[in-house]
Amino acid sequence: MNVLKDKKAWLIFILPALIFYLGTVFVPIIQSLKYSFQQWNGIQEPAYIGFDNYIAMFKDSYFWNSVQNNLVYVVIVVFMQVFIGLFFALMLSYVTKGAGIFRTLYYLPAVVVTVAIAQMFRNFYSLQPLGLLNMFLDWVGLSHLQSAWLSNPHTALIAVSIPEGWRFIGMYMVIFYAALIAIPKEIEEAATIDGVSGWQLIRYIKLPSIMHVLSLSLIMCTTGALRGFDIPYIIGVPGSATELVTTYMYKQAFSTIQYGYGSSIAVFIVIESLLAVLLIRAIFNSRKGDA
Amino acid sequence: MLATKKLSSSLLYILVIAILLIQIYPVVWLMLSSFKSSIELTTQPFAMPSSWSFENYASVFRESSLLLYIKNTAIVTFACLALIIFLSATAGFALVKMINRLNSKLLLFFTIGIMIPIQVTLIPLFIMYKDYGLLNSYPALILPQVGFALPLSILIFTSFYRYVPGELLEAAVIDGCNIYQVFFRIVSPLTINTTITVASINFIFIWNDFVFSNTFTNDKAYKTIAVGLQEFIGAFGATDWGQTFAAISISIIPIIVTYLFLNKYVMAGVSDGAVKG
Repeated sequence: MNVLKDKKAWLIFILPALIFYLGTVFVPIIQSLKYSFQQWNGIQEPAYIGFDNYIAMFKDSYFWNSVQNNLVYVVIVVFMQVFIGLFFALMLSYVTKGAGIFRTLYYLPAVVVTVAIAQMFRNFYSLQPLGLLNMFLDWVGLSHLQSAWLSNPHTALIAVSIPEGWRFIGMYMVIFYAALIAIPKEIEEAATIDGVSGWQLIRYIKLPSIMHVLSLSLIMCTTGALRGFDIPYIIGVPGSATELVTTYMYKQAFSTIQYGYGSSIAVFIVIESLLAVLLIRAIFNSRKGDA
Repeated sequence: MLATKKLSSSLLYILVIAILLIQIYPVVWLMLSSFKSSIELTTQPFAMPSSWSFENYASVFRESSLLLYIKNTAIVTFACLALIIFLSATAGFALVKMINRLNSKLLLFFTIGIMIPIQVTLIPLFIMYKDYGLLNSYPALILPQVGFALPLSILIFTSFYRYVPGELLEAAVIDGCNIYQVFFRIVSPLTINTTITVASINFIFIWNDFVFSNTFTNDKAYKTIAVGLQEFIGAFGATDWGQTFAAISISIIPIIVTYLFLNKYVMAGVSDGAVKG
């Protein structure tokens, strides 16, 4: 089929997408790398300073604090999205009537504008005026636990992590649900005949069958949380309590206008995400070896 | 036996409905609250609105530029969708249905994009836009969103094209179609469902984008909803919540309606991306 081998036509089909992709995704990455070796405030000429930005970054306690916060954020978000999402999907896989409607509605928070979610939770956590959570505590007689959840430095980080975790539970649920109902019925039936039931069926048949989807979701979710930005940026408190690596990078770049330093943090985020992907894949591959 | 089965099945439904409440109650509560006055919001937060007052909505339209922001968001979103569909449909076709030794490597190269954090491009794009006077413009928002949407969109298109039988293309070629006719007349009409899937998934991402819009626009004339909504939040927390909730409701209704109509395609896209990919 010479028509399908036509190199010129192939280029015409590929090039527009490739140019867009290179220009808006890859060229900026290379430029970030270049800027990360420069000192530049956008006004004076950029000056090459070697690894100085990276050295400054590793000595910057505020930066390390944001890395630490980011890890807490990742743990909360991954727990909510992957584990609770998996739990919801397992529940739903036993539902016979109306599963489609439940699935559609569970996904709803994922389509709502982030700013709306953030403001909704700001109201929810608020103490003055009394927000939903504090009203609820009052209602169940736990008014002594009332707090301004977002401005209390002990709870602020958890408070900004929960909305992000919550909004995408439905998305991961949809993914797991699709994988669960794709498990061939014969496998389940054979196991049931062999006397496997309930929890064992989930533990030894269902979860191993969707391992591939689980590992992919864990990668998606972890890298997503490592670059988490919107909600902590919008409702996070001034100071360090809710600072994540991305929000710190953003402020360094666009508030204090240190393009070089900001770029070195951006490069750190890319490397950190790649390491997370490799780590998760290594864990899943070694477990495959055990079985 | 039957009794326990019935009991566990009702327990299951109770649990499933409880989860449903956690997932949608906040959104429902927000919409109900948008009809309440400030006083009612603090005194009767959980009750149904005592009267369905549109005062909050009226003042949003009177005092803010929300309609302008909706217009901007719509322009950016639809321009992005048109580009994304055209670019990923054509590239996906060449990668799967045409014969070239670079195909598998190129597909991998596109797929890597899913992992790349968008923040890494913010500083370079900002500097480039500043140099070319593109800050505060529609292209400033459209270009990166298209670029970052391509990996997933191309992946969804390629997973569909794999099911299109090669014989169909060969028959068309024998009948005298050239490659462009094969694509536009034979293959494209088959991809309507896939196109809607790609469009509906990206519609949600782009309509809701915050980072690009917040970084590349500060002029009212080009702000999108995601950033414009911020205006309702008073500088010192003196927020008029009734108005804020009305503004939020206005801005999420288009997307919720779209989602409820197209949810079948959104679900297909979300599960295809991970389960097959």
